[in-house]
Amino acid sequence: MNLEELAFLALAAVAVGTSVAALLVRELVHTILWVAVFFVDLSAIYFLLNAPFLGVLQLGVYAGAVTVLLLFGIMVTRKRIFSRDAATGIGPVPLALAAVTFIFLVASLGEFPQGTLTVQSYDPTALSGALFGNYGPWLLLLGLIMMSGVAGAIYLVREGRE
Amino acid sequence: MTALPVAWFLALSGALLAVGIFGLLTRRNFILILIAVEIAMNATILNFVYFAAFATSGTGLSGQAIAVVLIGFAATEVAVGLAIVLGLNRLKGSINVAQANELKE
Repeated sequence: MNLEELAFLALAAVAVGTSVAALLVRELVHTILWVAVFFVDLSAIYFLLNAPFLGVLQLGVYAGAVTVLLLFGIMVTRKRIFSRDAATGIGPVPLALAAVTFIFLVASLGEFPQGTLTVQSYDPTALSGALFGNYGPWLLLLGLIMMSGVAGAIYLVREGRE
Repeated sequence: MTALPVAWFLALSGALLAVGIFGLLTRRNFILILIAVEIAMNATILNFVYFAAFATSGTGLSGQAIAVVLIGFAATEVAVGLAIVLGLNRLKGSINVAQANELKE
């Protein structure tokens, strides 16, 4: 087992562990901290996959912006920030459904090509060329959706609505 | 040059998707539901990045470009979701989705 495989296994274990911990801890603020670790861990996986631009984007957008937004959401909806969530039990049905989803996905792996594949490396400059070249319309669509998202969010939270 | 088994990546994505679905079904707090959706969405984005990394020639750039667009979509979704959280909190005084049971304001 080489170094990359060990690194990937460690990062994958941290990703699954932190995502489970984020959903199971009782304090909401601790959830945000776990989920921040999860996002940083995913960005490390992106760096491992030779996608440095996506790694940096993950750090900036998820570990930075989304985490702060979620913290802000907790701050304005709670009287005390460190207050425990109402107990929500883990029902057998959701657990079974999640297990079935995972087993189904893993069982379907038999149809994928087995063995190892070499990770290609791409120049971030070439990625910007693709983004503003072939994927220009997608980027434009992203801008439009973000703009409408901002407009919708302002509409939802504005004061003095009947 | 890094060489990694493909099945491991797919197993990780599947596990994260399962965790996201589990959170989506069990949590009642709106913010936790948003986080569960984010975890499931990150599993998807991760898949795009894997297959981009393993694709030869320039096709890998397509996967990365789609991943960039998806990260933007996910950020927008969180912003709108938090606006809904604030609206729900103002209406009900709580962000428990079990209390959002009226299909009116």
